[in-house]
Order: sequence, then C-alpha cells, then structure tokens
Amino acid sequence: MSSEVTLEELAALMKKAAGVTVDPYDLEARVDTPFAEFGLDSLGLLGIVGELENRNGRALPTDAERCKTPRDFLDLVNSTLTAGA
Amino acid sequence: MSARATRRTAITGIGVVAPNGTDTETYWKSVREGLFVLDRITREGCGHLPLRVAGEVRGFDPSALIEETFLVQTDRFSHFAMAAAGAALKDAGLSDAAADSPYSVGVVTAAGSGGGEFGQRELQRLWGQGSRFVGPYQSIAWFYAASTGQISIRGGFKGPCGVVASDEAGGLDAVAHAARTVGRGTDVVVAGAAEAPLAPYSMVCQLGYPELSTAEDPARAYRPFTSAACGFVPAEGGAVLVVEDADRARGRGAEVRAVVAGHAATFTGASQWDRSREGLAHAIRGALDEAGCAPEEIDVVFADAMGVPEADRAEALALADALGPHGGRVPVTAPKTGIGRSYCGAPVLDVAAAVLAMEQGQIPPTPNVFDVCHDIDLVTSQARPAELRTALVLSRGLMGSNAALVLRRGH
Amino acid sequence: MTRRVAVTGIGVVAPGGIGISAFWDLLSSGRTATRGITLFDPEGLRSRIAAECDFDPFAHGLDAAQAERADRYIQFALVAAAEAVADCGIDFGAENPWRVAVSLGSAVGGTTRLEHDYVLVSERGQRWDVDHRAAEPQLHRAFSPSTLASDVAERFGAQGPVQTVSTGCTSGLDAVGYGFHTIEEGHADICIAGASDSPISPITMACFDAIRATSPDNDDPEHASRPFDAHRNGFVMGEGAAVLVLEELEHARARGAHVYCEIGGYATFGNAYHMTGLTSEGLEMAKAIDTALGQARLDPTRIDYVNAHGSGTRQNDRHETAAVKRSLGAHAYDTPMSSIKSMVGHSLGAIGAIEVVACVLAMAHQVVPPTANYETPDPECDLDYVPRTARPRKLDHVLSVGSGFGGFQSAVLLTGRGGRKR
Repeated sequence: MSSEVTLEELAALMKKAAGVTVDPYDLEARVDTPFAEFGLDSLGLLGIVGELENRNGRALPTDAERCKTPRDFLDLVNSTLTAGA
Repeated sequence: MSARATRRTAITGIGVVAPNGTDTETYWKSVREGLFVLDRITREGCGHLPLRVAGEVRGFDPSALIEETFLVQTDRFSHFAMAAAGAALKDAGLSDAAADSPYSVGVVTAAGSGGGEFGQRELQRLWGQGSRFVGPYQSIAWFYAASTGQISIRGGFKGPCGVVASDEAGGLDAVAHAARTVGRGTDVVVAGAAEAPLAPYSMVCQLGYPELSTAEDPARAYRPFTSAACGFVPAEGGAVLVVEDADRARGRGAEVRAVVAGHAATFTGASQWDRSREGLAHAIRGALDEAGCAPEEIDVVFADAMGVPEADRAEALALADALGPHGGRVPVTAPKTGIGRSYCGAPVLDVAAAVLAMEQGQIPPTPNVFDVCHDIDLVTSQARPAELRTALVLSRGLMGSNAALVLRRGH
Repeated sequence: MTRRVAVTGIGVVAPGGIGISAFWDLLSSGRTATRGITLFDPEGLRSRIAAECDFDPFAHGLDAAQAERADRYIQFALVAAAEAVADCGIDFGAENPWRVAVSLGSAVGGTTRLEHDYVLVSERGQRWDVDHRAAEPQLHRAFSPSTLASDVAERFGAQGPVQTVSTGCTSGLDAVGYGFHTIEEGHADICIAGASDSPISPITMACFDAIRATSPDNDDPEHASRPFDAHRNGFVMGEGAAVLVLEELEHARARGAHVYCEIGGYATFGNAYHMTGLTSEGLEMAKAIDTALGQARLDPTRIDYVNAHGSGTRQNDRHETAAVKRSLGAHAYDTPMSSIKSMVGHSLGAIGAIEVVACVLAMAHQVVPPTANYETPDPECDLDYVPRTARPRKLDHVLSVGSGFGGFQSAVLLTGRGGRKR
C-alpha cells in the first residue's frame, strides 16, 4: 500500500539523504523554488528517489530525478504512487 | 623542488586530527609530553577481531566543523581530512584563499585505506538487501580521491588536484608533490593525508600484514628499536599542511613556519626490510642533496620506527650509512609510538611535529620506549631542549616504498 | 637544461584487444567490445553490460605464482608492462635501478577482491562484525592500493620513486603526467607509467547504477556506448590496463631507441564545483588544455586530433565539447575528436592510459580512430567526432583529455614529428 508523500516527509528525506536542513513550513512557502537553492543537488535527489522506491517497493518514473522544484517532484511522485495503489 | 632556485616552498599552516589531539595545539602538547594513548579498540563491531590495540581518534565531532551536506556523502577518513584542511587554512590565514584566484590553490592528499567504513555499510546494503539499496554516495565516498575532491570543492580550489595512493611513505610524497607543484607555479597547495582504517572489514583486511602487532596489552604492542619490538599498531587520523611559495607568503605577511627543502623516494620491495636499509639511505642522500644540506646539519630525525626488529635495524643502519658518524650522534625521535601509525597520515603528522619542534626548540620523546637496542640516540622519556634548524623525516611503507624529507626552520 | 620526455615503449590489455596489435586492429576497424556481463551474474542491476577482457593470465605470460598472488587488475598491469618493456628494448638489468621510476594509476584498485572477500566474511551482508576467519590470505594486498605499483616495480627491478596514483577517472592521464614530471624534473631517467582497473563487480556496477551514470541498453550492448550521439544514455563499464615506457630523450637517443613521440605537456585542475556534476562551460578542462599547450609553446591551431574523454553521459560530452571549443577556438571545428570508449568502454582509472596509448598508435599509423556507434548529431555537440570509420590524417600534435569524479580535469599533449618548441 502506498500513500502520498507529504511536505514534512520530503523535508525529512532531504535531511536524511542529503544533509539538507529545511523547515517543512519553509518548504511549503517556497514550493516552487528550485531544489538547488535549498542546497539539494542531483545526487541528493537521486538518494531521495531511491529511498522512496525502496520504501514503496516500486520504481518511480525517470523524470522524478530530473524534477527541479519540490512541487514538481511531489506532484510526479504522488500521481505515480496513487495511480495503481 | 628542482625549481627551488626560483621558488622556495614554505609551510604556512598546520591542521591535525590525531589520537592524541584533534587540534594542533593539543597534538603538540601531547607529543611534547610524550602522552601515550594506544588503547583497546572500541569501535563498533571490532571487539572480536584479533587486532586489539590501535590509536583511535576519540572525541572528534565532525558536525561542529563541517557542513552536514558534506558529511552525509563522505567517510570518516574524509571527515578527518576536511577538518584538518580547514584548520590548516585557518592557521595560514587563508580561509578565503580561493576568493581572488581559484586556480592558484591546489590540493594533494595521500591515501592508503579509502572510505572503508562507508564502503562496508554500502556493501552490506548491496549483499544484504539488493543493489537498489546502494546509495548515490558510494561512488564518491569510498574511492581514494574522495578527500582531495571534497577539499577542493569545499574550499573552491581549482588548482592542480592530486592523489597519491602510495603506501605510508606516500604521506611524504604528497608534501613533495605539493612543493613541486608550487615550484611549477601554483601559489598554494593544501597537502596531507588522513586515514580511518578502524572499521571491522578494514581491520580484517589488515590482518594479513606480517608486520601488524596483534599484542593484547597496549603497553607492549608497539615498541620499535627495542628487543621487545613485535610489529606496528595502526591508527586513525592525520594532518594537512598549507604549502606555499615562500615569497608570496612573506608578501602577504604570513609566517614561514618551515621550508620544504628536499625530498627523495625509493623502492626496495614489500616486507623486505633488510633491503630497506639501502633504500632508506639512498632516499636520505637524495633529500639532503636536493636540500643542499650536509649530514652534520641535520639536528633531529623523525624516524619511521616500524617496530619490526629487522626494519628497526635497517633504519638505524641507514642513518649511519647516509649520515656517517653523525648518524650515531643526531637525536632521533618517534612520537608515533604514542599514537600508532595512521598509514599515509603518519609521516604527515611527523612533519607537523617536526615543524612545531623546530619552532619550540624541543625534541619530543618516543613514548613508552625504553632500553634501545640500536646505535642511535633515541630521545625517550621526556622532551629534550635543542636548537633545531633542520629536521629529517623518514617513512617506509608496507609495500616497499621509502621516503625522506628535509625541512628547514622558517624565518 | 630542459629534460625532454620520450615514449619508447607501449603495452596494452584492453577489451577486444589484448596486446598492441590486436588493440590497434580493433580501434582502426571501429569494432565494439561491449557485451552482456559474463564476469558475474548481473541480474537485478540496471546496467548489465560491460566491455570485458577475454584474459587468460597463463596465455599472456604469467606463471602460476603470479596468477595466484595478483588480482586481476594487477595481472593486467603486469602483462601490459611486460609488453611495453619488451617494446622499448631497454635492458633493465643494466640500468641504474635508482633511476627507474614507476607511476601507475587505478581508480578502484583492489575493490573487486575486497568485495569478493567481504561476501565471505559477512555471510553475504548479514553481519557488521565480520568473521575474519573466512578471509583469504592475500586480502591485505587488495586493501593496499600501492600493491599495483609495488608489484610492477618488483617485477622490473625499479628502485626509484614508485607511485600509485588514484584520482578517479583521470588516474591514467595523471599517472602518465606524474611520470612525465618525474623525468622532466630529474628524479628518474626511465618511468614505467600507466594505469589499470578491473571494476566489473557488483558493488562498482551498483554504485554507478545508483547515480544513473551507466547505460541501461541491456538489449543492445554492442551499440550501447554512443559518445556525442544525440541518443547517448550513459557510459558502458570497461576494464583493462595500458603501460608506457617514458624515457629521458637523450637517454633514449644514446641507445638508439625508437621514439614514438614526446610528452609535450601535462596539466590537471579541479573544477571545485561538484564531485560528479559538470558545468556546461568546461572552463577548467579548457584551462588544462591551455596549460599543456603552453608548456610546449604550441599554438592551439597546431592540434591535429583530440582524443576525448567522451564517456557517453549527457553532461560529459556537452562539457567536453564546450571545453575544446574554448581552447581551440574555430580550429576545434577542423579538428577530429573521437572517443574510443565507444569501442572499449570506460575502464575508470585505466582508460586514461589506454587512451594515451591509442594516441601514440594513432600518431604511429597516422590514422584517427573513430567514434563507433555515432549516428545522430546533438546540437550541443557539434564537432567532428569521426563517426564509425577510422580516418587517415597527418598527426603531429595530439591531445588526450579526461574528466573524473572529484571534479578533476586533465590533459596530456603528445608531440611527434616536428617535436616540441622550446
């Protein structure tokens, strides 16, 4: 069973996978700000993708690792996880 | 250093992370007092292994020194290296070194064990859970170049970047590599080595070294130059130096703490300690020649001190061969008997100690070593005051390399 | 007096081409040596293809003791070094051993053996407190990266400076560069220089999987490595070794040696940007090229061929094209630039040395090796990549460039007829 990834969970993943500390409220306020401005690089995003894939036991589309902002990422991830859940 | 006629290379900064001190001041105080910190290994998952004693770096908190984004993607050996590099740059007054001209600052590290703890964790994920559980940082944390790359990125240094994965003596090779890079025109090179070989699998890998001491009692585990010598004890940590064009250093008002005057490296075969006599003597002569230094000018020797009877004998004889009668008179010390050998990091720690010894006019003692059974004047028990203008640092590696480095006092 | 550095011997162990003759045959014919992995069962991996060496240590001159003691990557190096040493004609027994150096590169060294024994001591990843009793007796030799240079030095009696260089994927170029400096600055007269890696193992494949750097074209391995092509999708792992005998020019002349070419210059810089990421500008690689050319006082318009890093990842090929255009200016469009990784894959630390040997051969034959599999132009990669077919050309000055994790950018300049201007 899969559930939607929330902003809180994304913030926690950014911390765990990339060492980036971001307040979930800040993330919500800046949901269209590029990941790079939070200090999250391509490897960090790949780490988050891998973590979500392993947690849910299913692959995410390759576009996930190319998402530039938190909103794009959550939209893509959640539409994938909820479709066919 | 063949370009030394035109560019002299100075050491202007020192950063240390060692078992007897995680900053330079504490390290020097411990070295001068001959503090002995070898102890039973306490790192997780190591207690059952037949390697009992080592020099662990304890009380080191990387998160106080290094941004978390760097910490998550690096192994402990790079944490040490980044911390030591940061301290060395601060010491040199170059924390902002890259701001004006990034290409004028290079980085070179020596590495002998890589990111073993990080690597073991990822191997466990791969074999225990599956390939999809291997994280994205394995590709950049385990390999030997990790510390050079991260120091370059963290500092914004775009100058020549190098990595010599060359055995213990590679620590001295890295300092020489830096000096030669300065000789070719780069203003500053951040140079050194730090190791973290005390993870369970890394320790298993070291068990095959015939020179490894497996003694149970820390007090008896590493006693070079004595009849009780029974091998060496490994350690964590290392040191990073700022190596800089001496004229540039003076121009910016920085203190020239020492000059890297000469270096030479030779090879005489893995574990062939009798042959290392000739190899070490040849390296000493080469380093003296490059430094334009007579044997009698050497005021102190920081010995390799392998702790294997044949190796200790070879080193004592090499000093006699290369320095003549002076070889029996010059004070010799081996502070590493108090902290163990952190592979490539060990000789760089000795370079740091040699610079500090020249500055302070104190030859630090060789901790826990008594009843020397070779014809050398080994400084034991307590520091010996002396006017020190020139120091010779020696190192040998388990795979057969020998190196010698001559340092001159600054000013 | 300036000491000049000549190449007087070469040897290679490459996928599809063990030995100089077979290697050149592969390159000049444009065949590819990429295939499904056979060295282990790659099931479950995203990228299950590689360029492997069909290597039999006994057929290539090693004895049972050497084969038993030396890991695969060291076996490669011993075989390549033996070929280079025989080729150069030096009687090493008659040389002053203190004047003979070794400079060998490797990105991952003994990793394959380390992983093999890890599986034994950890009960396949089940325990952190590993059981040392299951380890093999030679494991410490895999742990120490300097075993590579040490074994080769011992084999050929070198007693001068012996170094293992490990700057990731520029290790091969840097090892040649360090060897060049060692001779130029007077620390040795001869240097056995090169690099070796045998990284085709689960952990190394998995770690490149994790960052999506390798090609997932498992159904068509022969065409999977497509540097500079618009449809490129990652590099294909390789393995192998190459060794050059570098020699001070007067030393070579005094014994009447055949000189392939000279090392005209070498430089390396860091991009201080990202451990794996590359900018689209290529400033630092351009700086390395400019510096190497400056050492030889050579105008960029004199470059006849660029042997590219050309890994086949999207960012690398774009980065490198920008760098070469920045250094060579309009001349870049008239300069063939090809990637032999299209044929022999990317053997991490080894490939830089393999590519320098390819450059030496290109000059010897006056033929540019092609970029195999190149079909569809990419607007961001708009140079002449020598598609699919080798091309005769007058080659006096050749550049080999490389780029590696850590942000390292290196360039080696080879000069042939016409020599270097000083």
